[in-house]
Amino acid sequence: MAEKDQRETEGGRASDGAGKRVSPWLIATAWLIPGLGHWLLGKRIRSGVFFGVVVAAFVTGTLLHGELAVPQTNSPLSWFFTFGCLGNGILYLVRLVFLNGLDGIFSSSFPYGLHGGGDPVTAGFFYGKTFLYTAGLMNLLVVLDVFDIARGEKN
Amino acid sequence: MDHFLLLVWHAFLVAVFFAFLWRSGRRARTILFLKFFLIMVLGAILLGWIMFPFP
Repeated sequence: MAEKDQRETEGGRASDGAGKRVSPWLIATAWLIPGLGHWLLGKRIRSGVFFGVVVAAFVTGTLLHGELAVPQTNSPLSWFFTFGCLGNGILYLVRLVFLNGLDGIFSSSFPYGLHGGGDPVTAGFFYGKTFLYTAGLMNLLVVLDVFDIARGEKN
Repeated sequence: MDHFLLLVWHAFLVAVFFAFLWRSGRRARTILFLKFFLIMVLGAILLGWIMFPFP
């Protein structure tokens, strides 16, 4: 009973079978579609919650006219922001294609010159960016969680 | 657009996320959710009050 309580409190750490190999496809799937990695591992409730939370944050950010992070010339930090925002997986990619079109994505200046959308004049611009970045970073944490579960280090 | 409502919505999403990421079991998740949610909302209000005298 005490062991069960300990597991519940600490997020269910499991050491049995730890260190298993993890398929890169599982990780890619978990990144591309929020929650799908947990679904494939049989964690249906967590899968639904993570999908709902990440999508809700992304949609809120978009509705608030937030700007997706894209690489900018002479701004090395923009790569960090892009990495965080890219965590949104397919949501980020679809939004980027919607904003730039396929021609814009595959232009000769790629990855520079992309348009991240958003409207800096609106009151919700920075709030929107916060929601978009938060969604991306949350999904990256979800991917790490899938990795831990697949390795058998967590239940 | 209600700024406070956005704050509450953001805190809610993040609190739900970490409750499910870091805890298993309904009771443990509920406790962590409440901790996160209240700290973020009340902390933001408190920070707002502290910053109030500054220009």
